[in-house]
Amino acid sequence: MITFSSRSFRLLCGNALLPADPARLVLAISIAVGLLMVIIFRYTSDQKAIGRAKDRLKAHLLAVRLFQDQLPVVMRAYARILRGTGSYLRLAFAPFLIAILPITFLIIQLDRYFGWMPLRAAQTFLVEARVEDRAAANQVELQLPPELASSAPAVHIPGDKQVVWRLVAQRDGQYDIHIAAAGQTVSKQVVVASGLARVSRVRWQGNFWERMLTSGEPALADNSPIQSIAITYLPRVIHFAGMEWNWIVLFFVVSLIAGFIGKSILGIQV
Amino acid sequence: MRLLFRQKRPGLSLVVLVIVGLVLLFPLRSEAYAGPGAGFAVLSSFWTIFVAFLYSFYALVTWPMRYLLRRFRRRKAYGKAQVKRVVIVGFDGMDPALASRFMDEGKLPHLTKLRDSGTFRPLRTTFPAISPVAWSTFLTGVNPGKHNIYDFLGRDLKNYLPYLSSAQISEPKRHLRIGKYSVPLGRPEIKGLRRGTPFWHWLGKAGVFCSVIRVPVTFPPEKFPGVLLSGMCVPDLKGSQGTFCFCTTRASGDKFREGGVRIPVERLGAGFHSYIPGPENPLGTGGDLRAQFKIRTDVRRHQARIEIDSETFTLKVGEYSEWIAVKFKAGMGFTAHGICRFYLKEISPEVEVYVTPVNIDPRRPDLPISHPVTYSIYLAKLFGPYATLGLAEDTWALNEEVLDDQAFLAQCYGNHEDRERMFFDALEKTPRGLCACVFDTTDRVQHMFWRYLDQTHPAVRDLPQAQRPRVIQDLYDRMDNLIGRVMQQIDDQTLLLVISDHGFKSFARCLNLNAWLHQNGYLTLKQGKSESGDWFEDVDWSRTRAYTMGLNGLYLNLKGREWEGIVESGAPAEALKEELRAKLDGLLDPASGAIGITGMFDCDAVFAGPYVDNAPDLIVGYGEGFRASWDSVMGKVTGKIFEDNLKAWSGDHCVDPRLVPGVLFSNRKIAIEKPAIVDVAPTILKLFGLDLPSYFDGKPWSLVPAAPRPPKAAA
Repeated sequence: MITFSSRSFRLLCGNALLPADPARLVLAISIAVGLLMVIIFRYTSDQKAIGRAKDRLKAHLLAVRLFQDQLPVVMRAYARILRGTGSYLRLAFAPFLIAILPITFLIIQLDRYFGWMPLRAAQTFLVEARVEDRAAANQVELQLPPELASSAPAVHIPGDKQVVWRLVAQRDGQYDIHIAAAGQTVSKQVVVASGLARVSRVRWQGNFWERMLTSGEPALADNSPIQSIAITYLPRVIHFAGMEWNWIVLFFVVSLIAGFIGKSILGIQV
Repeated sequence: MRLLFRQKRPGLSLVVLVIVGLVLLFPLRSEAYAGPGAGFAVLSSFWTIFVAFLYSFYALVTWPMRYLLRRFRRRKAYGKAQVKRVVIVGFDGMDPALASRFMDEGKLPHLTKLRDSGTFRPLRTTFPAISPVAWSTFLTGVNPGKHNIYDFLGRDLKNYLPYLSSAQISEPKRHLRIGKYSVPLGRPEIKGLRRGTPFWHWLGKAGVFCSVIRVPVTFPPEKFPGVLLSGMCVPDLKGSQGTFCFCTTRASGDKFREGGVRIPVERLGAGFHSYIPGPENPLGTGGDLRAQFKIRTDVRRHQARIEIDSETFTLKVGEYSEWIAVKFKAGMGFTAHGICRFYLKEISPEVEVYVTPVNIDPRRPDLPISHPVTYSIYLAKLFGPYATLGLAEDTWALNEEVLDDQAFLAQCYGNHEDRERMFFDALEKTPRGLCACVFDTTDRVQHMFWRYLDQTHPAVRDLPQAQRPRVIQDLYDRMDNLIGRVMQQIDDQTLLLVISDHGFKSFARCLNLNAWLHQNGYLTLKQGKSESGDWFEDVDWSRTRAYTMGLNGLYLNLKGREWEGIVESGAPAEALKEELRAKLDGLLDPASGAIGITGMFDCDAVFAGPYVDNAPDLIVGYGEGFRASWDSVMGKVTGKIFEDNLKAWSGDHCVDPRLVPGVLFSNRKIAIEKPAIVDVAPTILKLFGLDLPSYFDGKPWSLVPAAPRPPKAAA
């Protein structure tokens, strides 16, 4: 599923995203997603029932104000507010479920582009391979393409069953590094670019949910002695409105605002 | 898509639920993956809780101070109170004779219970016996000379034209001219013309909480410590007392007598289009604003789809829509918000749609219709939009045969159910204090259906008895049922009063008093005229000594008071009054020999107070079966003095007030033989232990002490 969505997404908009400014792209996508969400909500929810539930909630809030000197009335109004909130959430839950699935996949894919920065030429970076046992760690061998070079000897950390290499790239490009162990060779993609590019931080063996959330590559074979290969890409910071943002926070805020504006314009009950 | 969603697929839902649940379980960056959907849900719902929490916190922190303040304010309240709560259910026009008759026939079990274990008396009404007059007296505890309401209409002394006696709405004083536009700066000015202080103001000041629902003549709503929703006299969005709209493809040059407008429906492609006329354009560019709507008929299914603004709904023939929001846009950001209901009357061969008067939208009222303003919004949020117009039951549409009996009744009882919901909510929200509500369905239904009760009424003279629907019997049954539900909700510390402002009689014969005045030389028409149009169009005021307009008032054309008055005040005026009294009192209907007028009352004798100068000079007490003719009310002079009333409006109360007392029921025994509506206000104040203002005209009643309860063991 994840491979399918990754490929589909790459096919649809992978190249189109590359030359754009990340901040503007995040804003545009957030606005589009916010509007899309309210439209999906409109067609998957019982708008009349939601409208009624919200109206009743507001009425009970007004009751607290209107009958403020009548303590029993106010207490009953509070109880009704809580009950009304439950009713509202129950009505909003189903459309929320329907909308959350495609949005989750979308965000996972967008995170490949906006979550991490690709490596720069001449920038050193670490490759961390985790193996299944300590013995295997001593037999691991790294094979590099000509554009990548090792800048330091490999560091073996037997306690963590880990081997770490420090590498440097000579120029932009998308490369595969190969790691051989116990007679098997596995590869890991390394992206060196100056703009926006799709990166996969880790290649995992198994770990379905980890792969779904953090990886953009196929799983390592089950019988491979290597459990994971990670590249230390730096997290991307988006500059917007004089502040530094994690793209997901910015996405969340902007899509919410767009959704709220959109619902008012389109007359949608959310 | 929504249909797809509605067709539930439990398997898929379960998979989706599991996947989403698992995604949400992972705490990495996935908390944000819920995206805006979660954000909306969380913000929308928890915002409410957040606000409630903030308010609770505020309430908690300020509680001690408010408690002390309330104790101080309420030091007078409840201390000497004889009851914990007073519930007043007003049934406009409930007739004591009819109620007695039904009770004697074994009907109305709950009212019978009140009669047998509490109180049932006729309740003396006001002079004249007209709702705004009587309810104004009810709420102020004074005679009309002190509250200034003598009829629905008052007359402008400068031009003899009518104005609404209860409130005056005028344009904002200041305007800004921008090209062809005249932009109003500010809101319309609303001035209440009723004087006197409603008794709930005294209660509120003393710390007794009051909920007041749709008591007539409470527009504009006045500030007081309690909640109030205005009733009779609230205008529609056009500023009238109710103008319906009849959209039809049938060509007709006829105009409705009053209360409605005929609007053409025109073909547009495969469908039709028409419009609802709204208020006058506030930008001064002339003409009324309009709300366009489209109709697409489906003859095979006997229905039509109506599209107005962004709302689309389908109606079957003979069906009402819900309340539909309509906007009248004037440009430059000016929009009037209203609500109305559509009734599909016919779709083939002609297309006819009736639209109720456009009511002020209670969710965003363009004029204040409640105190505080949020109270009307609260009720609309809780129960949905509702009729806000004072006279919401469209009697004119039935009179003009735009609606039939069934459609009118459906409208009446639809409104009534809304009011019942409001009333029971107010009852729940007022565990101590006063809860008063007036239901006017009783008045409207009796006005329009008395013809089926009166075996000789000319409007249905040929209809066999067996075919006459039992509308009024059903009405009283419904009201009795309502009282039954109220009785279930009150304890023995609550005093229940069921009252009406007046009773009812048949209105079979119309009496045009202006025609009588004309034929007897008191009112003169212009040269060459034998009749006059509406509002004295052809009256020669320089030779007119007396005239009548409205329902019961007869006026002298008094010099120095009326613009073109000719009757000298003092002795000549008194002599003329006496002469008119003598001639009119006992006036006979030549057709039947029945007495058309059973009493002529000198206003100087029946009214006292600072506003008596605005009163008519004489109050006309029509006999049973008679009332002022439709033409006479509107200042029209016709050739005939008496004629049959062939309208659906067949019952009335604007007769000799002695003939139409209201009712007083109570769950407690009240020690009074001849109670009057003017006594209600002083009685309530006394029950809550408050001192009575010296200007009150009514006398408080005394409750008979309840018999001591038998000991538990004996019980």
